[in-house]
Amino acid sequence: MISIFQIAYKNLLRKKTRSVLTILGISLAAWVLTSLFGFNRGYELSLNKDIDNLGYQMLVTAKGCPYEAATLMLKGGTGLRYLKQEVAEQISKEPEVEKITPMVMQAIFDPNKGESGGIAAYLGVDPKTFPQMKGFLQFKAGSWFTDPDAYEAVLGYEAAELEQREVGDLLLIPEKNVELRVVGILSRTGTQDDGTIFLPLSTVQKIFSVKGELTGIGIKLKKETDISGFEERMYALPDVQVVSLSQVKNTIMTLVSTAKVMVFSIALIAVLISIMGVVNTILMSVMERRQEIGILKAMGALAKDIFRLVWFETLILCFTGGLIGVVLALGTSKITDLLIRRVLPYTPSGGLVKIDSLLVVFTMGLISLVGLFSGLYPSWKAGKVRPLETIRSEVE
Amino acid sequence: MRLRIILLAYILFILNFSLYAAVGCDLNDPDRDVKRFFPESTGYKTLYVSISKKGGEALLKEIERRLGENFKGLFETIDIPYTMYLVYKGSELIGYIHGVNQKGQYGGIQVFLALDLEGNIKAFYFQKLTSKNARLFRDAKFGQQFVGLNLKDFYNYDVVSGKELVAGKISQIKNPSPESDADFRAALRATKKNLILVDEFLFGNRYLKYFKTSGGREQ
Repeated sequence: MISIFQIAYKNLLRKKTRSVLTILGISLAAWVLTSLFGFNRGYELSLNKDIDNLGYQMLVTAKGCPYEAATLMLKGGTGLRYLKQEVAEQISKEPEVEKITPMVMQAIFDPNKGESGGIAAYLGVDPKTFPQMKGFLQFKAGSWFTDPDAYEAVLGYEAAELEQREVGDLLLIPEKNVELRVVGILSRTGTQDDGTIFLPLSTVQKIFSVKGELTGIGIKLKKETDISGFEERMYALPDVQVVSLSQVKNTIMTLVSTAKVMVFSIALIAVLISIMGVVNTILMSVMERRQEIGILKAMGALAKDIFRLVWFETLILCFTGGLIGVVLALGTSKITDLLIRRVLPYTPSGGLVKIDSLLVVFTMGLISLVGLFSGLYPSWKAGKVRPLETIRSEVE
Repeated sequence: MRLRIILLAYILFILNFSLYAAVGCDLNDPDRDVKRFFPESTGYKTLYVSISKKGGEALLKEIERRLGENFKGLFETIDIPYTMYLVYKGSELIGYIHGVNQKGQYGGIQVFLALDLEGNIKAFYFQKLTSKNARLFRDAKFGQQFVGLNLKDFYNYDVVSGKELVAGKISQIKNPSPESDADFRAALRATKKNLILVDEFLFGNRYLKYFKTSGGREQ
């Protein structure tokens, strides 16, 4: 015996073009919606990962640095002013501090990069504390520095790829004409570390004549520490600026939320348009089949049977459209990622669009719910058809 | 119809999963650079090719044979995407630009060549060069020594020994900084590799016949 589902399916096939166009509208809405929810989730996760991968929760820089100092650090930039190395020693004595790592970032103009030159940046790190704080870093080849004062370099994966360096090769600091030996190449991390050239802290201080100076101190606090209280106390130190990375995260998220609101509005409009499309398609189909529905009712079909039949048709349209939309969103997530990176001023280094099974189920559920809702009126209208009236109108 | 849908889905997924491929060598500012090499040009098209997609291992071996040395190191691999710039004046093709990455003594070197339709070098350009004497290498005088040369001239140049088998045009190229011999040889190797890749990907191996008669060093 033929089921109600099969009847609904066959009814949709009677007007193929109309059904396909409606499904297309729904799938576009589902595509935008899934990508957007995926972005909502992915951006925050990647930002958290970037911040966690820094290995520290707080960054102390010299006063006068721009507020965006930490963001610049995230992107591999450099601070403009220096802190004295004694500040690091002072901070390390605080009882809440689990670990600290002093850093000095230096950038130099390389006239031989491109047509009009470019910037080459070097991050001086403390060989004792930095590897501990960044325990997740893996080596593709080699290892960390052999000596705290060595003229050696460890390259992030992309930096090594760009410079075509391998362990044992030489690396030249332009303008300074200083040679370094490459002792390690890191595996790809998907973070800003991939593009970084790491040198021992004291080596950078020596080469760039900034002995005893730092551009930043990364601080990892003990678990139960009141971060904002500690931050306040840090401000008591002379000429320092404290940036807690959760604060940076909030600032970035606030900036991004403006863009999100706009895109959510567009997605909402897309969903509304697709609802209208569904209502229109099903309503037209009901109008065209009035006599047929009348005959069904004359043969004993109840209003609720007709209601269910038409509602099923709506559900099939929405479910199919939703499924195609979700598959499209999954298939194009990396391209969406690339497009978002071009638009947003700051993006973390991991994947920006994360679509998992939970999100797929959620979107499918939402689209199906929208389908059920938009099918209410046409189904009710179909259920109300009077058999005698429709049959009479056919005879006339 | 079904085939088209499958093809479209395939392309989408390929695009989607090949975003972390090996690093290629693109012009930093193609609009400006193309105009600089071909002032009469009105536009250009880019063509992306890789040895892995064009011919795989067999093609790699063939290219290595013509180069006279195996591709080496972590970053000279079969999947590197090469960007070929096809330069137009109106609808007329007037030349090509192509760059390659090459390992230098102190860092990565990027050598770009502007070629005419016959494959002769019109311009030689270091987009990136880390060397103690980078200024001398980037001087226009050094690049001018390459103008007019083509792959036929480079077949006699052995990239391993850094010498020509029979003294010819390549031997006449002067090293502007003898103490940076490694970078000089890297520049010549990059040029030969660049010309071979263009011959493979754009010229349909027009210069292969000269390789067979040149007695080019087999690896």
